[in-house]
Amino acid sequence: MKDWAATAKAAGLDIPAKDISRIVQPLNGLEEVFRPLAESLTPEMEPAVSFRADEEQA
Amino acid sequence: MTIREAAESLRRRRFSALELTTATLGRIERLNPTLRAFLTVTAEQALKQARQADADLAAGNDRGPLHGIPVAVKDIFHTRGVLTTAGSPIYRNFVPDRDAFAIARLEHAGAVMLGKLNMHELAYGITSANPHFGAVRNPWNGKHSPGGSSGGSGAAVAAGLVYAALGTDTGGSIRIPASFCGTVGLKPTYGRVSRRGVMPLSWSLDHVGPLTSSVRDAALLLNAIAGHDPADASSSRYPVVDFVPDADCPVRGLRIGFPENFFFERVDADVELCVRGAVARLESLGANVKPLKVPDIAAMNATARVILLCEASAMLEPHLADRGQFGPDVLALLDQGGLLPATDYIHAQRLRRQMQREFARIWSSVDCLIAPTTPNTAPRTGDTTVKLGGHEEDVRLATTRLVRSMNLLGLPALSIPCGLSGDGLPVGLQIIGPAFEEALILRVGAAMEDGGVGIPPCPVG
Repeated sequence: MKDWAATAKAAGLDIPAKDISRIVQPLNGLEEVFRPLAESLTPEMEPAVSFRADEEQA
Repeated sequence: MTIREAAESLRRRRFSALELTTATLGRIERLNPTLRAFLTVTAEQALKQARQADADLAAGNDRGPLHGIPVAVKDIFHTRGVLTTAGSPIYRNFVPDRDAFAIARLEHAGAVMLGKLNMHELAYGITSANPHFGAVRNPWNGKHSPGGSSGGSGAAVAAGLVYAALGTDTGGSIRIPASFCGTVGLKPTYGRVSRRGVMPLSWSLDHVGPLTSSVRDAALLLNAIAGHDPADASSSRYPVVDFVPDADCPVRGLRIGFPENFFFERVDADVELCVRGAVARLESLGANVKPLKVPDIAAMNATARVILLCEASAMLEPHLADRGQFGPDVLALLDQGGLLPATDYIHAQRLRRQMQREFARIWSSVDCLIAPTTPNTAPRTGDTTVKLGGHEEDVRLATTRLVRSMNLLGLPALSIPCGLSGDGLPVGLQIIGPAFEEALILRVGAAMEDGGVGIPPCPVG
Protein backbone atom coordinates (compact mmCIF):
# COMPACT_ATOMS: atom_id res chain seq x y z
CA MET A 1 0.00 0.00 0.00
CA LYS A 2 1.08 3.58 -0.58
CA ASP A 3 2.74 5.69 2.07
CA TRP A 4 0.15 8.45 2.18
CA ALA A 5 2.12 10.62 4.60
CA ALA A 6 5.06 10.58 2.20
CA THR A 7 2.72 11.30 -0.71
CA ALA A 8 1.34 14.33 1.12
CA LYS A 9 4.81 15.58 1.93
CA ALA A 10 6.00 15.13 -1.66
CA ALA A 11 2.96 17.05 -2.91
CA GLY A 12 3.67 19.86 -0.47
CA LEU A 13 0.37 19.34 1.32
CA ASP A 14 0.29 20.47 4.90
CA ILE A 15 -1.89 17.72 6.37
CA PRO A 16 -1.36 17.06 10.09
CA ALA A 17 -0.31 13.52 11.03
CA LYS A 18 -3.53 12.82 12.95
CA ASP A 19 -5.55 13.78 9.87
CA ILE A 20 -3.41 11.55 7.65
CA SER A 21 -4.00 8.60 9.96
CA ARG A 22 -7.76 9.12 9.63
CA ILE A 23 -7.72 8.82 5.83
CA VAL A 24 -5.30 5.95 5.39
CA GLN A 25 -7.96 3.26 5.70
CA PRO A 26 -10.45 4.72 3.20
CA LEU A 27 -7.67 5.50 0.72
CA ASN A 28 -6.25 1.99 0.99
CA GLY A 29 -9.73 0.54 0.55
CA LEU A 30 -10.27 2.62 -2.58
CA GLU A 31 -6.82 1.75 -3.90
CA GLU A 32 -7.55 -1.95 -3.51
CA VAL A 33 -10.57 -1.78 -5.82
CA PHE A 34 -9.47 0.97 -8.16
CA ARG A 35 -5.88 -0.03 -9.00
CA PRO A 36 -6.75 -3.31 -10.79
CA LEU A 37 -9.43 -1.46 -12.75
CA ALA A 38 -6.99 1.23 -13.85
CA GLU A 39 -4.43 -1.41 -14.83
CA SER A 40 -6.99 -3.19 -16.99
CA LEU A 41 -7.50 -0.18 -19.27
CA THR A 42 -6.41 -0.44 -22.89
CA PRO A 43 -4.80 2.51 -24.71
CA GLU A 44 -7.72 3.21 -27.04
CA MET A 45 -10.07 3.93 -24.13
CA GLU A 46 -10.22 7.74 -23.96
CA PRO A 47 -11.39 9.72 -20.94
CA ALA A 48 -15.02 10.80 -20.70
CA VAL A 49 -13.98 14.41 -20.18
CA SER A 50 -14.66 16.23 -23.40
CA PHE A 51 -13.60 19.53 -24.88
CA ARG A 52 -15.67 20.92 -27.74
CA ALA A 53 -14.04 23.87 -29.41
CA ASP A 54 -17.18 24.71 -31.34
CA GLU A 55 -19.10 25.40 -28.13
CA GLU A 56 -16.51 27.58 -26.49
CA GLN A 57 -17.97 30.62 -28.24
CA ALA A 58 -21.42 30.08 -26.71
CA MET B 1 -51.89 17.74 -0.45
CA THR B 2 -50.00 17.37 -3.72
CA ILE B 3 -49.13 20.21 -6.09
CA ARG B 4 -51.77 18.98 -8.51
CA GLU B 5 -54.41 19.11 -5.78
CA ALA B 6 -53.30 22.55 -4.59
CA ALA B 7 -53.25 23.85 -8.17
CA GLU B 8 -56.78 22.59 -8.71
CA SER B 9 -57.96 24.25 -5.47
CA LEU B 10 -56.34 27.55 -6.44
CA ARG B 11 -58.21 27.58 -9.72
CA ARG B 12 -61.52 26.66 -8.06
CA ARG B 13 -60.96 29.54 -5.59
CA ARG B 14 -61.11 27.18 -2.61
CA PHE B 15 -58.18 29.19 -1.29
CA SER B 16 -55.81 31.81 -2.63
CA ALA B 17 -52.05 31.60 -3.17
CA LEU B 18 -51.70 34.10 -0.34
CA GLU B 19 -53.71 31.88 2.02
CA LEU B 20 -51.74 28.83 0.95
CA THR B 21 -48.43 30.62 1.44
CA THR B 22 -49.47 32.09 4.79
CA ALA B 23 -50.52 28.66 6.05
CA THR B 24 -47.25 27.14 4.87
CA LEU B 25 -45.19 29.88 6.51
CA GLY B 26 -47.08 29.22 9.75
CA ARG B 27 -46.18 25.56 9.54
CA ILE B 28 -42.52 26.45 8.96
CA GLU B 29 -42.56 28.77 11.97
CA ARG B 30 -44.00 25.99 14.12
CA LEU B 31 -41.92 23.02 12.96
CA ASN B 32 -38.64 24.42 11.68
CA PRO B 33 -37.09 25.11 15.09
CA THR B 34 -37.22 21.35 15.65
CA LEU B 35 -36.52 20.09 12.14
CA ARG B 36 -33.94 22.72 11.12
CA ALA B 37 -34.90 22.17 7.49
CA PHE B 38 -34.73 25.86 6.55
CA LEU B 39 -31.65 28.05 6.86
CA THR B 40 -33.33 31.15 5.45
CA VAL B 41 -37.07 31.84 5.22
CA THR B 42 -37.91 34.57 2.72
CA ALA B 43 -41.37 35.25 4.11
CA GLU B 44 -41.74 38.80 2.86
CA GLN B 45 -40.69 37.90 -0.66
CA ALA B 46 -42.96 34.84 -0.61
CA LEU B 47 -46.01 36.84 0.44
CA LYS B 48 -45.31 39.38 -2.30
CA GLN B 49 -44.99 36.60 -4.89
CA ALA B 50 -48.19 34.98 -3.61
CA ARG B 51 -50.15 38.25 -3.93
CA GLN B 52 -48.81 38.63 -7.47
CA ALA B 53 -49.78 35.03 -8.26
CA ASP B 54 -53.35 35.71 -7.11
CA ALA B 55 -53.54 38.92 -9.14
CA ASP B 56 -52.20 37.15 -12.23
CA LEU B 57 -54.68 34.29 -11.88
CA ALA B 58 -57.55 36.72 -11.42
CA ALA B 59 -56.44 38.54 -14.58
CA GLY B 60 -56.40 35.27 -16.51
CA ASN B 61 -52.59 35.08 -16.64
CA ASP B 62 -52.18 31.44 -15.62
CA ARG B 63 -48.55 30.33 -15.67
CA GLY B 64 -49.36 26.66 -15.27
CA PRO B 65 -49.47 24.05 -12.53
CA LEU B 66 -46.74 25.62 -10.34
CA HIS B 67 -48.48 29.00 -10.32
CA GLY B 68 -48.86 30.09 -6.68
CA ILE B 69 -47.31 26.89 -5.26
CA PRO B 70 -44.91 27.32 -2.28
CA VAL B 71 -41.50 25.75 -2.89
CA ALA B 72 -37.99 26.05 -1.48
CA VAL B 73 -34.51 25.15 -2.65
CA LYS B 74 -31.34 23.70 -1.20
CA ASP B 75 -28.99 26.45 -0.05
CA ILE B 76 -26.60 25.62 -2.85
CA PHE B 77 -28.63 27.36 -5.58
CA HIS B 78 -27.75 30.97 -6.27
CA THR B 79 -30.71 33.16 -5.39
CA ARG B 80 -30.60 36.84 -6.28
CA GLY B 81 -30.42 38.99 -3.16
CA VAL B 82 -30.79 35.99 -0.81
CA LEU B 83 -27.98 34.52 1.31
CA THR B 84 -26.56 31.34 -0.24
CA THR B 85 -24.21 29.45 2.08
CA ALA B 86 -23.88 25.91 0.65
CA GLY B 87 -23.97 24.97 4.31
CA SER B 88 -20.47 26.32 4.86
CA PRO B 89 -18.94 29.25 6.74
CA ILE B 90 -16.88 29.91 3.60
CA TYR B 91 -20.01 31.42 2.07
CA ARG B 92 -21.58 32.77 5.26
CA ASN B 93 -21.93 36.24 3.70
CA PHE B 94 -22.43 35.31 0.07
CA VAL B 95 -25.43 36.98 -1.55
CA PRO B 96 -25.60 36.24 -5.29
CA ASP B 97 -26.59 38.94 -7.73
CA ARG B 98 -28.47 36.57 -10.03
CA ASP B 99 -30.58 33.44 -9.86
CA ALA B 100 -29.50 29.96 -10.85
CA PHE B 101 -31.04 28.74 -14.10
CA ALA B 102 -33.41 26.36 -12.27
CA ILE B 103 -34.54 29.10 -9.87
CA ALA B 104 -35.31 31.45 -12.74
CA ARG B 105 -37.31 28.65 -14.38
CA LEU B 106 -39.34 28.04 -11.21
CA GLU B 107 -40.09 31.74 -10.83
CA HIS B 108 -41.09 31.94 -14.50
CA ALA B 109 -43.51 29.07 -13.80
CA GLY B 110 -45.09 31.15 -11.03
CA ALA B 111 -43.82 29.20 -8.02
CA VAL B 112 -43.68 31.02 -4.68
CA MET B 113 -40.18 30.83 -3.19
CA LEU B 114 -40.21 30.26 0.58
CA GLY B 115 -36.48 30.18 1.18
CA LYS B 116 -33.29 28.17 1.39
CA LEU B 117 -32.92 24.68 2.82
CA ASN B 118 -30.30 23.22 5.12
CA MET B 119 -27.92 20.62 3.76
CA HIS B 120 -24.79 18.63 4.42
CA GLU B 121 -21.82 20.98 4.47
CA LEU B 122 -20.88 21.82 0.85
CA ALA B 123 -23.11 18.93 -0.31
CA TYR B 124 -20.21 16.62 0.58
CA GLY B 125 -21.87 13.96 2.74
CA ILE B 126 -25.06 12.09 3.44
CA THR B 127 -26.15 12.96 6.99
CA SER B 128 -27.07 16.70 6.83
CA ALA B 129 -25.72 16.92 10.38
CA ASN B 130 -24.30 20.30 9.53
CA PRO B 131 -21.69 21.33 12.12
CA HIS B 132 -22.12 25.03 11.33
CA PHE B 133 -25.89 25.44 10.97
CA GLY B 134 -27.28 22.52 12.97
CA ALA B 135 -28.32 18.97 12.14
CA VAL B 136 -31.49 18.52 10.09
CA ARG B 137 -33.90 16.12 11.79
CA ASN B 138 -35.89 13.39 10.08
CA PRO B 139 -39.61 14.27 10.40
CA TRP B 140 -40.47 10.57 10.83
CA ASN B 141 -38.25 10.29 13.89
CA GLY B 142 -36.23 13.23 15.14
CA LYS B 143 -33.46 10.99 16.44
CA HIS B 144 -32.71 9.83 12.90
CA SER B 145 -30.91 11.43 9.99
CA PRO B 146 -32.92 12.78 7.05
CA GLY B 147 -30.12 11.69 4.73
CA GLY B 148 -28.25 14.09 2.52
CA SER B 149 -26.81 16.03 1.21
CA SER B 150 -30.22 17.53 0.33
CA GLY B 151 -31.49 16.69 3.84
CA GLY B 152 -33.36 19.94 4.38
CA SER B 153 -35.14 19.40 1.07
CA GLY B 154 -36.25 15.88 2.05
CA ALA B 155 -37.31 16.92 5.55
CA ALA B 156 -39.21 19.99 4.32
CA VAL B 157 -41.21 18.04 1.75
CA ALA B 158 -41.92 15.13 4.12
CA ALA B 159 -43.08 17.50 6.89
CA GLY B 160 -45.31 19.49 4.55
CA LEU B 161 -43.28 22.69 4.95
CA VAL B 162 -43.20 23.03 1.16
CA TYR B 163 -44.96 21.39 -1.77
CA ALA B 164 -41.69 20.75 -3.58
CA ALA B 165 -38.00 21.36 -3.15
CA LEU B 166 -34.97 21.36 -5.38
CA GLY B 167 -31.88 19.41 -4.47
CA THR B 168 -28.64 18.32 -6.03
CA ASP B 169 -27.29 14.81 -6.44
CA THR B 170 -23.57 14.05 -6.87
CA GLY B 171 -23.50 10.59 -5.30
CA GLY B 172 -27.12 10.08 -4.27
CA SER B 173 -27.87 13.40 -2.56
CA ILE B 174 -31.45 13.67 -3.87
CA ARG B 175 -32.37 9.98 -3.73
CA ILE B 176 -30.93 9.29 -0.27
CA PRO B 177 -33.00 11.95 1.55
CA ALA B 178 -35.99 10.94 -0.54
CA SER B 179 -35.53 7.36 0.65
CA PHE B 180 -34.95 8.27 4.32
CA CYS B 181 -37.73 10.89 4.49
CA GLY B 182 -40.33 9.00 2.44
CA THR B 183 -40.57 11.44 -0.46
CA VAL B 184 -40.19 11.16 -4.19
CA GLY B 185 -36.78 12.24 -5.48
CA LEU B 186 -35.68 12.47 -9.10
CA LYS B 187 -32.13 12.65 -10.37
CA PRO B 188 -32.54 13.43 -14.06
CA THR B 189 -30.09 12.50 -16.79
CA TYR B 190 -26.78 14.39 -16.67
CA GLY B 191 -27.31 17.44 -18.87
CA ARG B 192 -31.10 17.45 -18.62
CA VAL B 193 -31.20 20.33 -16.09
CA SER B 194 -28.70 23.17 -16.19
CA ARG B 195 -26.16 23.41 -13.35
CA ARG B 196 -25.66 27.14 -13.96
CA GLY B 197 -25.76 29.00 -10.69
CA VAL B 198 -25.42 25.87 -8.56
CA MET B 199 -22.28 25.83 -6.43
CA PRO B 200 -20.27 22.92 -7.83
CA LEU B 201 -19.02 19.98 -5.83
CA SER B 202 -18.03 17.78 -8.77
CA TRP B 203 -18.60 19.26 -12.21
CA SER B 204 -18.96 15.94 -14.01
CA LEU B 205 -21.15 14.23 -11.39
CA ASP B 206 -23.47 17.02 -10.13
CA HIS B 207 -27.15 16.81 -11.08
CA VAL B 208 -30.12 19.07 -10.23
CA GLY B 209 -33.56 17.63 -9.50
CA PRO B 210 -36.77 17.82 -7.47
CA LEU B 211 -38.04 16.24 -4.26
CA THR B 212 -41.83 16.07 -3.98
CA SER B 213 -44.64 14.16 -2.32
CA SER B 214 -45.84 12.45 -5.50
CA VAL B 215 -44.39 11.18 -8.76
CA ARG B 216 -46.57 13.44 -10.90
CA ASP B 217 -45.44 16.43 -8.86
CA ALA B 218 -41.82 15.53 -9.59
CA ALA B 219 -42.74 15.45 -13.27
CA LEU B 220 -44.30 18.91 -12.99
CA LEU B 221 -41.08 20.25 -11.49
CA LEU B 222 -39.00 18.60 -14.20
CA ASN B 223 -41.25 20.17 -16.85
CA ALA B 224 -40.37 23.56 -15.38
CA ILE B 225 -36.60 23.16 -14.99
CA ALA B 226 -35.53 20.90 -17.89
CA GLY B 227 -34.04 22.29 -21.06
CA HIS B 228 -30.93 23.46 -22.84
CA ASP B 229 -28.82 26.21 -21.34
CA PRO B 230 -25.94 27.41 -23.54
CA ALA B 231 -24.18 28.75 -20.44
CA ASP B 232 -23.74 25.23 -19.00
CA ALA B 233 -21.17 23.26 -20.98
CA SER B 234 -22.81 19.95 -20.00
CA SER B 235 -26.36 21.05 -20.84
CA SER B 236 -28.02 18.83 -23.42
CA ARG B 237 -30.05 19.77 -26.48
CA TYR B 238 -32.00 16.53 -26.16
CA PRO B 239 -35.69 17.34 -26.76
CA VAL B 240 -37.78 18.14 -23.70
CA VAL B 241 -41.16 16.40 -23.58
CA ASP B 242 -44.14 16.65 -21.23
CA PHE B 243 -42.91 14.44 -18.39
CA VAL B 244 -46.23 14.17 -16.53
CA PRO B 245 -47.63 10.64 -16.79
CA ASP B 246 -51.19 10.26 -18.04
CA ALA B 247 -53.97 9.42 -15.58
CA ASP B 248 -53.93 5.94 -17.03
CA CYS B 249 -50.27 5.02 -17.39
CA PRO B 250 -50.07 1.44 -18.55
CA VAL B 251 -47.07 -0.72 -17.75
CA ARG B 252 -48.39 -3.90 -19.37
CA GLY B 253 -45.60 -5.61 -21.24
CA LEU B 254 -42.95 -3.19 -20.04
CA ARG B 255 -39.72 -5.09 -19.36
CA ILE B 256 -38.59 -4.34 -15.83
CA GLY B 257 -35.09 -5.48 -14.95
CA PHE B 258 -34.72 -6.77 -11.40
CA PRO B 259 -31.04 -7.16 -10.47
CA GLU B 260 -29.98 -10.57 -9.20
CA ASN B 261 -26.55 -9.38 -8.13
CA PHE B 262 -25.20 -6.53 -6.01
CA PHE B 263 -28.39 -4.57 -5.22
CA PHE B 264 -29.71 -7.08 -2.66
CA GLU B 265 -26.39 -7.99 -1.10
CA ARG B 266 -26.13 -6.65 2.45
CA VAL B 267 -29.59 -5.08 2.51
CA ASP B 268 -31.78 -4.59 5.58
CA ALA B 269 -34.52 -7.26 5.68
CA ASP B 270 -37.33 -4.68 5.86
CA VAL B 271 -35.93 -2.86 2.83
CA GLU B 272 -35.77 -6.06 0.81
CA LEU B 273 -39.30 -7.03 1.82
CA CYS B 274 -40.78 -3.65 0.85
CA VAL B 275 -38.96 -3.47 -2.49
CA ARG B 276 -39.86 -7.02 -3.47
CA GLY B 277 -43.49 -6.34 -2.49
CA ALA B 278 -43.59 -3.24 -4.69
CA VAL B 279 -42.12 -5.10 -7.63
CA ALA B 280 -44.69 -7.87 -7.18
CA ARG B 281 -47.37 -5.19 -7.31
CA LEU B 282 -45.90 -3.87 -10.55
CA GLU B 283 -45.93 -7.38 -11.96
CA SER B 284 -49.59 -7.72 -11.00
CA LEU B 285 -50.24 -4.58 -13.08
CA GLY B 286 -48.94 -6.41 -16.15
CA ALA B 287 -45.26 -5.50 -16.18
CA ASN B 288 -42.84 -8.17 -17.31
CA VAL B 289 -40.34 -8.42 -14.45
CA LYS B 290 -37.09 -9.97 -15.65
CA PRO B 291 -34.29 -10.99 -13.29
CA LEU B 292 -30.92 -9.96 -14.71
CA LYS B 293 -27.27 -9.57 -13.83
CA VAL B 294 -25.95 -6.03 -13.85
CA PRO B 295 -22.32 -5.03 -14.54
CA ASP B 296 -19.85 -4.53 -11.68
CA ILE B 297 -21.46 -1.77 -9.58
CA ALA B 298 -18.70 -1.89 -6.93
CA ALA B 299 -16.18 -1.01 -9.66
CA MET B 300 -18.39 1.87 -10.76
CA ASN B 301 -18.62 3.13 -7.18
CA ALA B 302 -14.83 3.12 -6.82
CA THR B 303 -14.46 4.95 -10.12
CA ALA B 304 -17.07 7.54 -9.17
CA ARG B 305 -15.37 8.08 -5.82
CA VAL B 306 -12.03 8.82 -7.50
CA ILE B 307 -13.69 11.39 -9.77
CA LEU B 308 -15.59 12.98 -6.90
CA LEU B 309 -12.58 13.12 -4.57
CA CYS B 310 -10.41 14.75 -7.25
CA GLU B 311 -12.98 17.24 -8.56
CA ALA B 312 -14.19 18.31 -5.10
CA SER B 313 -10.64 18.82 -3.85
CA ALA B 314 -9.80 20.88 -6.93
CA MET B 315 -12.97 22.93 -6.45
CA LEU B 316 -12.30 23.68 -2.77
CA GLU B 317 -8.48 23.85 -2.87
CA PRO B 318 -8.42 27.67 -2.61
CA HIS B 319 -10.10 27.42 0.80
CA LEU B 320 -7.95 24.62 2.26
CA ALA B 321 -5.40 26.99 3.76
CA ASP B 322 -7.89 27.53 6.58
CA ARG B 323 -8.66 23.96 7.63
CA GLY B 324 -10.71 25.09 10.62
CA GLN B 325 -13.61 26.19 8.43
CA PHE B 326 -14.45 22.61 7.41
CA GLY B 327 -16.21 19.94 9.43
CA PRO B 328 -14.04 16.87 10.13
CA ASP B 329 -15.82 14.55 7.69
CA VAL B 330 -15.60 17.02 4.79
CA LEU B 331 -11.97 17.82 5.59
CA ALA B 332 -11.09 14.11 5.54
CA LEU B 333 -12.60 13.78 2.05
CA LEU B 334 -10.79 16.90 0.80
CA ASP B 335 -7.51 15.52 2.12
CA GLN B 336 -8.11 12.23 0.35
CA GLY B 337 -8.78 13.99 -2.95
CA GLY B 338 -5.58 16.00 -2.62
CA LEU B 339 -3.53 12.80 -2.41
CA LEU B 340 -4.81 11.15 -5.57
CA PRO B 341 -2.60 11.69 -8.62
CA ALA B 342 -3.90 13.31 -11.81
CA THR B 343 -3.31 10.02 -13.61
CA ASP B 344 -5.91 8.33 -11.41
CA TYR B 345 -8.44 11.00 -12.32
CA ILE B 346 -7.79 10.39 -16.01
CA HIS B 347 -8.00 6.62 -15.52
CA ALA B 348 -11.32 7.06 -13.73
CA GLN B 349 -12.72 9.11 -16.59
CA ARG B 350 -11.52 6.43 -19.03
CA LEU B 351 -13.13 3.71 -16.94
CA ARG B 352 -16.30 5.79 -16.87
CA ARG B 353 -16.57 5.63 -20.68
CA GLN B 354 -15.88 1.89 -20.67
CA MET B 355 -18.50 1.28 -17.96
CA GLN B 356 -21.04 3.45 -19.76
CA ARG B 357 -20.71 1.30 -22.89
CA GLU B 358 -20.90 -1.93 -20.92
CA PHE B 359 -23.95 -0.86 -18.92
CA ALA B 360 -25.81 0.40 -22.00
CA ARG B 361 -26.05 -3.19 -23.27
CA ILE B 362 -28.67 -4.04 -20.65
CA TRP B 363 -31.18 -1.74 -22.38
CA SER B 364 -31.51 -4.25 -25.20
CA SER B 365 -33.17 -6.69 -22.80
CA VAL B 366 -35.05 -4.41 -20.35
CA ASP B 367 -36.70 -0.99 -20.46
CA CYS B 368 -35.75 0.05 -16.93
CA LEU B 369 -34.37 -1.33 -13.67
CA ILE B 370 -35.82 -1.41 -10.16
CA ALA B 371 -33.68 -1.72 -7.04
CA PRO B 372 -33.59 -0.46 -3.47
CA THR B 373 -32.49 3.18 -3.20
CA THR B 374 -30.59 2.64 0.04
CA PRO B 375 -29.75 -0.69 1.68
CA ASN B 376 -30.85 0.72 5.04
CA THR B 377 -33.48 3.00 6.50
CA ALA B 378 -32.43 6.30 8.09
CA PRO B 379 -29.62 5.75 10.61
CA ARG B 380 -29.62 7.57 13.92
CA THR B 381 -28.02 11.00 13.77
CA GLY B 382 -24.38 10.61 14.76
CA ASP B 383 -24.07 6.96 13.79
CA THR B 384 -20.85 6.43 11.84
CA THR B 385 -21.45 2.78 11.00
CA VAL B 386 -24.41 0.63 10.06
CA LYS B 387 -24.77 -3.14 10.39
CA LEU B 388 -26.05 -4.87 7.27
CA GLY B 389 -26.00 -8.59 6.55
CA GLY B 390 -23.81 -9.15 9.59
CA HIS B 391 -21.20 -6.64 8.35
CA GLU B 392 -20.40 -3.37 10.09
CA GLU B 393 -20.04 -0.74 7.34
CA ASP B 394 -19.13 2.93 7.18
CA VAL B 395 -22.51 4.68 7.07
CA ARG B 396 -21.56 6.93 4.14
CA LEU B 397 -20.28 4.11 1.98
CA ALA B 398 -23.26 1.90 2.82
CA THR B 399 -25.82 4.60 2.16
CA THR B 400 -24.33 5.59 -1.20
CA ARG B 401 -23.63 2.01 -2.28
CA LEU B 402 -26.75 1.57 -4.44
CA VAL B 403 -27.04 5.09 -5.85
CA ARG B 404 -23.56 6.39 -6.68
CA SER B 405 -23.10 4.43 -9.92
CA MET B 406 -25.94 6.32 -11.61
CA ASN B 407 -24.04 9.57 -11.13
CA LEU B 408 -21.07 8.01 -12.88
CA LEU B 409 -23.27 6.84 -15.75
CA GLY B 410 -25.41 9.99 -15.76
CA LEU B 411 -28.59 7.92 -16.02
CA PRO B 412 -31.96 9.11 -14.68
CA ALA B 413 -33.13 7.53 -11.43
CA LEU B 414 -36.36 8.08 -9.53
CA SER B 415 -36.71 7.17 -5.86
CA ILE B 416 -40.20 6.54 -4.53
CA PRO B 417 -41.35 5.42 -1.09
CA CYS B 418 -42.50 1.81 -1.05
CA GLY B 419 -43.19 0.98 2.59
CA LEU B 420 -42.30 1.46 6.22
CA SER B 421 -39.85 -0.59 8.22
CA GLY B 422 -40.80 -2.32 11.45
CA ASP B 423 -39.68 0.75 13.39
CA GLY B 424 -41.77 3.09 11.27
CA LEU B 425 -39.12 4.54 8.98
CA PRO B 426 -39.62 4.96 5.21
CA VAL B 427 -38.13 2.60 2.65
CA GLY B 428 -37.34 3.77 -0.88
CA LEU B 429 -36.90 2.03 -4.19
CA GLN B 430 -35.31 3.49 -7.31
CA ILE B 431 -36.36 3.16 -10.93
CA ILE B 432 -33.41 3.58 -13.28
CA GLY B 433 -33.78 4.22 -16.99
CA PRO B 434 -31.74 4.81 -20.13
CA ALA B 435 -30.39 8.33 -20.71
CA PHE B 436 -33.12 10.96 -21.21
CA GLU B 437 -35.90 8.45 -20.52
CA GLU B 438 -37.24 10.36 -17.51
CA ALA B 439 -40.77 10.12 -18.94
CA LEU B 440 -40.53 6.33 -18.84
CA ILE B 441 -39.32 6.02 -15.24
CA LEU B 442 -41.89 8.59 -14.12
CA ARG B 443 -44.59 6.54 -15.84
CA VAL B 444 -43.47 3.40 -14.01
CA GLY B 445 -43.32 5.32 -10.72
CA ALA B 446 -46.78 6.78 -11.23
CA ALA B 447 -48.19 3.35 -12.10
CA MET B 448 -46.78 1.97 -8.86
CA GLU B 449 -48.11 4.93 -6.89
CA ASP B 450 -51.54 4.57 -8.52
CA GLY B 451 -51.36 0.86 -7.79
CA GLY B 452 -51.04 1.46 -4.06
CA VAL B 453 -47.26 1.42 -3.60
CA GLY B 454 -46.42 4.11 -1.07
CA ILE B 455 -46.60 5.15 2.54
CA PRO B 456 -49.02 7.13 4.70
CA PRO B 457 -48.33 10.85 5.19
CA CYS B 458 -45.62 11.70 7.70
CA PRO B 459 -47.32 12.12 11.10
CA VAL B 460 -45.20 15.12 12.17
CA GLY B 461 -46.97 18.27 13.36
